[in-house]
Formats: sequence, structure tokens, C-alpha cells
Amino acid sequence: MYVVETDNLTKYYSRGKIKALEDFTLQVEKGKIFSLLGPNGAGKTTLIKVLLGIVFPTRGSARILGEDISNPGAHSRIGYLAENHRFPEFLTANQVLFYYGKMSGVEPALLKERIPQLLKLVKLENWGDTKIRKFSKGMMQRMGLAQALSNDPDLLFLDEPTDGIDPVGRREIRDLLKNLRDRGKTIFLNSHLLSEVERVSDEVAILKNGRLLQKGTVEDMVSVKQQFTLQLAEGYDLLQALCAELALPLVSQNGSFIVSVRDDAQLNHLIDKLRERQALIRGIVPRKITLEDFFIEVVEEKEVAAP
Amino acid sequence: MKLFAIIQLTFRESLARKTFIAFFGLSTLVNLLFLFALNLDIVDGAESYISLFGKEIDQAFELEKIVYGIESVVAVGLFTGGVFMSLFATSSLIPAFLEKGSIDLLISKPLSRFTILAGRYLGAVAIVAFNVFYLVGFSWLILSFKTGVWNFGFLLSGVMIVLTYAILYALMAFLGVTIRSGPFSLMITYAILFFSPLLLQREAIYALLSGKFWGYLLDFLYHFLPKTTELGNITRMLVQHADIGSWLPVLTSLLFGALMLGAASMIFKRKDF
Ligand SMILES: Nc1ncnc2c1ncn2[C@@H]1O[C@H](COP(=O)(O)OP(=O)(O)OP(=O)(O)O)[C@@H](O)[C@H]1O
Ligand SMILES: [Mg+2]
Repeated sequence: MYVVETDNLTKYYSRGKIKALEDFTLQVEKGKIFSLLGPNGAGKTTLIKVLLGIVFPTRGSARILGEDISNPGAHSRIGYLAENHRFPEFLTANQVLFYYGKMSGVEPALLKERIPQLLKLVKLENWGDTKIRKFSKGMMQRMGLAQALSNDPDLLFLDEPTDGIDPVGRREIRDLLKNLRDRGKTIFLNSHLLSEVERVSDEVAILKNGRLLQKGTVEDMVSVKQQFTLQLAEGYDLLQALCAELALPLVSQNGSFIVSVRDDAQLNHLIDKLRERQALIRGIVPRKITLEDFFIEVVEEKEVAAP
Repeated sequence: MKLFAIIQLTFRESLARKTFIAFFGLSTLVNLLFLFALNLDIVDGAESYISLFGKEIDQAFELEKIVYGIESVVAVGLFTGGVFMSLFATSSLIPAFLEKGSIDLLISKPLSRFTILAGRYLGAVAIVAFNVFYLVGFSWLILSFKTGVWNFGFLLSGVMIVLTYAILYALMAFLGVTIRSGPFSLMITYAILFFSPLLLQREAIYALLSGKFWGYLLDFLYHFLPKTTELGNITRMLVQHADIGSWLPVLTSLLFGALMLGAASMIFKRKDF
């Protein structure tokens, strides 16, 4: 069973003028950190809102935790950090967690016990009795995260969770998310911070203009197929000559060479030849790009391809 | 319990508003006035005389009239001023919770949309009921103990006041959900309050109207809209134990409130946020 499942989910705003989601089909497995990437206005927030029943789909269907999205029953096992969330300002941090936790159906006695732990988790343990109107942006964001965790959810929707949070805090949140995943929770993340996503996600989908462009593991996205970086102690001239002979594209990049091959056999053939002629190989590494490179490539390429 | 959490939160939110603190302060003042300044004591047991502000009154019958009089002043004052103030103080409760960032969070909770709206509405009614009965309940107790005249009609008038507020707030909830502006909903609700006596007297202006259509329109508005003037009269009559001719205005006003709440929740149920 998938934790999140959508079938041709479509959402138009303004009587069809804005196509925020278009035939979006996706499955997210249990126990994964799943990230949704996409430029501004791609439809990331809209997807979460449709899944949580905050907006209604124009077409298509979806299930979360096995329940149809029209049924709020599954919401007691869900945590949500909304983009630009706001809590009533006259409440203290403790009160926010108490009231909103209660709305999630958590027993008051259990909540009283859990609130100090939640505040500690987001490093606000000394702020429990302070009115949240006095909080900074990053503190509000931490508050939102603590709130999302108040019912110990199985599925967590986080819309830009590290927005406004300092680098140390971001790392703490990353560790927290990994920790939650290791406890079997599923995390659905919207983010622009690609380096963060790269570090934390098990799976990534790229969304643009409401359409799914790519989906896969981070590993899949950042490794470039059939390209290898070769580092030789000596024998660069030999490599160049061999590649010319075998008609393999070769580029040099700060002291090492990137060679493109058709398949593994061809790579091994090249290495045999190099070794035959006594070239001293230091390393062969499958080439990787950053997720950011990949993202920009995908988003821009499809832009050109679109009519 | 989840519904209760929303009611509680709304209650707190209202308490954080200055208007309710002023309301509460005023009520306390009136109660203290009754407790200390109003010197209405029975001196010397049963067949003796009673003094009011130092003046002697010797008939029990007159005493009852005086107590009813004082209580109807409180009830009518509360009916007009209290409802007016309460509407003002709660006008932004519905539009505020519909704002982006707060409504999202509420809908993400395991609550139906109907429960969310109902919780908000009931929270507002609860705070007003609390305030009204703080004044009515305490002043009733003080007056009753001091004079021995136990007028339950005064307590009933408190119920009427809360009911009237609840009916008008149903309209505010409907307007809040559709227009999402507190001040605008307030203006329309006040307009209905002010036109209520006029609609009751509509026969007097039939002659001024240019066509039959306008007459029908006024008739329709009278029957459709909450009849606050008559509700006010009934409130006063309850205190004075007068004969209430017809409960129909209460019934039709309640129907209006129910209709508004139903419409509000229908619209709220389908809205994108
Ligand atoms: N309530 C609304 N009414 C009309 N259009 C809307 C509404 N909400 C979103 N949109 C439109 O839907 C599209 C998708 O918006 P969405 O908020 O889902 O984007 P996003 O991917 O979350 O962007 P960002 O990265 O900026 O948060 C945008 O074109 C936006 O203008
Ligand atoms: Mg967004």
C-alpha cells in the first residue's frame, strides 16, 4: 500500500484559467522522505492542499494513508506545516501546541507530557510561556514544525520547512527528519533548497506548470549515465590517443578526464587497453552532477521542448 | 472533544479582545452598584417597611413593581447595548479564521468542515452567553436576596438576549463566509437591526410607496428578516410577567438564523482556501 497515491489529479483555479495541477499521478511509499521540487507557481502547495482537502480537485482522485481525500478521518495521523502558517498571536507556545494538538485528537494528559519534548525538539524549550507574537520568523517556523508533530503523525506534509531557519537549525531539522523516517514515518516535503533536498530525500519528483516532469531517487538524478571520470597518475596522451582511436568523446576537467562510453563492456575495453600499455590508473568514478544542475537542466529543457 | 477545542480557542480569542473586557468591566460595575449602592433592605422582619435609597416603601406590591422595573432596565439595556457591542466584538472572528495560513491548519485536522464552522460559531455564542449571564445572573441573585422577589422572568430574558445575538451572529457567519470582511458583515447586520422597527411599522408608510410591489417587498423583508424589535419587547415582557401575545416572531427569527447557518455551512463546505 502506498501512503500517498494520486490518479490523474487535476486542479484548475479561476474557472480553468490557471492550471495548477494537470493529470498528476504519483505514488509515495511508506517510510520514505519524498521531496517535491519545482519553480515558483509549479503547483507544489496546491498538491498538498488538494491532498488535505483544503482545496477540491477539478478532476481525478487521491488517497492518503489508504483513505480517500474527501474523508478527513485519516487526518488524525497526519501532521502539516503550511506555507505561511499562522497561529492566534495571543497564545503562548505551550497553548498553541495544546489547542492544536487537541484538535488532532490527542488526549490532554498525553499532550501535557508531550509539549515540553516537542519544544525541546525544535530548540524552543525556554520559550513555552512566551506569547508567540514575540517570536522571530525562524522561531515561528520551528513552532509550526512542533505543531505538525504534536500528534506523532505517520505522514508529515512539510511545505518549505526550513524557510527562514538558520544553517545550524536546518541541519537539526534534517537530522530530525531522518530520525522520523527511521522510525517508519513518511515525510512529504516541498522545498526550493536543492542542496538540502539532495542530502535528505529518498525520492524526488520535479513538477512544472502542474505536470510531473521527473520522478526517481536522488542517486538516479545526480549520476550521469555512462560517463566516468578517469584519474591517471600518468599517460594522459595515451588516453587521448586511445579515445580518438575508439571514437569515445573525452573532455578534460580540472586535471581529470570525463569519458563517455556506450556500455560497461566498452568502459572495460578502454581500461584493458590502457593497462596493456602500462598507463597508471588512480581512479574511475561514475560522474555525478548536483541535484541543482539536474533540476535546472530538466526544468529548462522542457521549457524549450514545449510548443 | 476536538469540537470543544475549537470552541475553547474561540472563547479565548474573544477574551483577548478589548471590547469584551470593557463589557465585563461594565457588568461588574452594575453588579457592584446593585450590591452596595442600591439600598433596598427589609427592615424589622415581615410586616415592616422597606427602604429604597433611604425612602420608605410599605407595600410589597409596590416593591415587586420596583424590582421588575429595575430588572427590565437591565434587560433592555443589555438587549440593545449588549447585543450591539457583542456583534461588534465578534465581527472579525469568522473572517479572521478564514485567512490563509490559519484555515489551512484547521482543515488539516481530523474535523469536518461543518464542525470547524460550528465550533467557531458556538465559541462566539458561548462568550456572549458568559458575559450576559455574568450580569443577569449576579444582578438577579443580588436583587432577589435583597428584596425577596425572585423573578425567574429576568433569567429568561437573558436567554432571549443570547438567542437574539445567536440569530444575528448566524447572519454574520453567513456574510463572513461569503464576503470575508468583518466590517462589511457588521454594517449589514447593524442595518437590519436599525430597520427592524421600521419594518414593524411598515403599514404606516404604505401610503408613501409608489407601487404595490414595494409594499410586498417590505412585507417579505419583515417576514424574512429577524424581528429584533419584537424580540426586544418580548424580552421586556418576560421580565415584567406581561402577557406575551405571540411567540411567532421568536420562531420565525430562529428559522432565519437556522437558514443562515445552513447556507453558511453549505458555502463553507465547498470553498477552496
Ligand atoms: N487560491 C488560488 N486562486 C487562484 N490561483 C491560485 C490559488 N492558489 C494558487 N494559485 C495558482 O496556482 C498555481 C500554483 O500555485 P502553488 O501555490 O501551488 O505553487 P507552488 O509550487 O507552491 O509555488 P511556490 O514555490 O512559490 O510556493 C500558481 O499559478 C498560482 O498562481
Ligand atoms: Mg508553495
